[in-house]
Amino acid sequence: MLLSSLANEIGPSPSLPSRMLQSCAMSAYERAASVVSEFLEIAPLPTVREAASAVRERLDSLLSTEIPKYTSEDTSLVVFGSLARGEWTSASDLDWTYLIDGQANSDHLVIAQKIRRILDKHKNEFSPPGQTGTFGNMAFSHDIIHQIGGQNDTNKNMTQRILLLLESQAIGKNNQAHERIIRGVINRYLEEGNHLLTEDETRYRVPRFLLNDIVRFWRTMAVDFASKQRDRGGEGWGLRNAKLRMSRKLIFASGLLVCFGCNLNSSLQKKISTDKSDIKFNLVNHIREQIRLTPLEILAKALKEYDVPKEVSLKFFGAYTEFLKTIDDGDSRQKLEKLRARNSRTDEIFKKIRDISQTFEDGLDLLFFDNSHLAPLTRKYGVF
Amino acid sequence: MRLIGFSTGALAKDDFRAALRIMARRGVQAAELSALRQPELIPLIQELDDLDLRTFKYVAFHAPSTMDRDFEPVAIAALHQVAIRQWPIILHPDAMHDPLKWSHFGDLLCIENMDKRKPIGQTVAHLSEIYNLLPGASLCFDIGHARQVDPTMSEAAAILQCFKGRLRQIHISEVNSQSRHDPLSFESILAFQKVAHLIRETVPVIVESRVREDEVNEEIQNVRKALSLENVLAMAGD
Repeated sequence: MLLSSLANEIGPSPSLPSRMLQSCAMSAYERAASVVSEFLEIAPLPTVREAASAVRERLDSLLSTEIPKYTSEDTSLVVFGSLARGEWTSASDLDWTYLIDGQANSDHLVIAQKIRRILDKHKNEFSPPGQTGTFGNMAFSHDIIHQIGGQNDTNKNMTQRILLLLESQAIGKNNQAHERIIRGVINRYLEEGNHLLTEDETRYRVPRFLLNDIVRFWRTMAVDFASKQRDRGGEGWGLRNAKLRMSRKLIFASGLLVCFGCNLNSSLQKKISTDKSDIKFNLVNHIREQIRLTPLEILAKALKEYDVPKEVSLKFFGAYTEFLKTIDDGDSRQKLEKLRARNSRTDEIFKKIRDISQTFEDGLDLLFFDNSHLAPLTRKYGVF
Repeated sequence: MRLIGFSTGALAKDDFRAALRIMARRGVQAAELSALRQPELIPLIQELDDLDLRTFKYVAFHAPSTMDRDFEPVAIAALHQVAIRQWPIILHPDAMHDPLKWSHFGDLLCIENMDKRKPIGQTVAHLSEIYNLLPGASLCFDIGHARQVDPTMSEAAAILQCFKGRLRQIHISEVNSQSRHDPLSFESILAFQKVAHLIRETVPVIVESRVREDEVNEEIQNVRKALSLENVLAMAGD
């Protein structure tokens, strides 16, 4: 990961001595360096990563100019999608949420509306989010943390929650609300687990509640794909299908890897102490640190940790980078956007996407079904 | 039994003499002399020789929470009067303009973790960077700040695990959403109990809750409950 983007991730602080700021950036760089692999340097990954970092900076600067102090210790502006994953391509949408974790305040709506108006004014630069209303709005910590499952856990709430965990980034300096809510959500998932350790207390178990919600999210995306096809009369089918096969599937795979990693990560297992009070804290902190990484970084880290052969890893990243190149190409993206399901079997661009996604899926099959570390967990937790 | 005392600022704002009198009357055995605002520092330092602190088993000194750049060397020079008494100097990390100028205080310099209003000093990652610059410094763990930053207390646990060798003092209070220090509620007591086992009994505890004199002993009892090892809950595991 680039030093400049890491410094941005931490955020500058006017009262912080510059020497200390530099030191913070170095530390974050060192943290991330442990997962940077040669695969993350395959073109166009460095370019789309830098582009995402630059767009996040630009977004902060634009909003800071128009709405000084648009966030606070109780509110964060959070972005999702390719901008958060570090996969920004030429026509990426800007999915954002004004996240609130504090006292109810009617000004929050005013700020969210103002953000929407400013982004609308700059829609050539920042394409507005989709039509579902999941993004481009306010979201409150209470529902995200407390309404997990049950009648009130709406599709929108569940989507926001899982994406907060697996692909979100706070914009600007104030990330406290974002950070608190993420920890609150992880804590909720673990609180409901009666036994976080295996019976012999030598390992952490896979956090089943979290895992099931990640699986539910993936299945919901797949079901909603069919629902959107009907609602929108087939409009946008090709691009949505391509994203489902690739970027959405990557998010799901990264979520599975985070959950399975709780059982497999050796340094986490070393922290199991005789004192039961630390067991949950250590797991919350472990999961928090893992999901600071982007889905691609989580995948790269897993490939390294689980001794996946290089040719398999190259297949993964080769397929994913081809996908990014395709949707970054204006002509191909436009063709995909216009493509209807009935023409998909004869369309050349879609045929390419299908081949790419087949390679990607073959890689996932090898990783989750054949790898000696992951296969037993996939068998145990993956379906039944 | 834990040594529990009060901050003078919590009992009587800038009237440290009045606060010390309250503590003496209530049999409090630990005190933190508080000069939270820059103009309060020099008058308090000038009074140190005249204060009767014999009843206290433990005394600490809280340096101003913000300082002008020009005032920083003046403060450092004045705080030598505290250091020669071997009292810990509690300091907010963002109050420093040049951290290296504070390094000679060694472990008497007690860096406090911050609340959510502050730009730095809330997490293990932030504190690690500060200790990289001040390797000899110790930690004043503000458990109320840590809970405000992360109500799950997992960051609190991480700070206590990571810096257990540096832990020199505890600050305790309920830090409300406006970052003001209130008396402990049942909710905060439950939260603090989750990490009480990570705080050695020998570490002095300074209460920052703003209470009246007649509430001092009740607040100390609540602090004992919050940090009692008997109340540690088994949170997971078979």
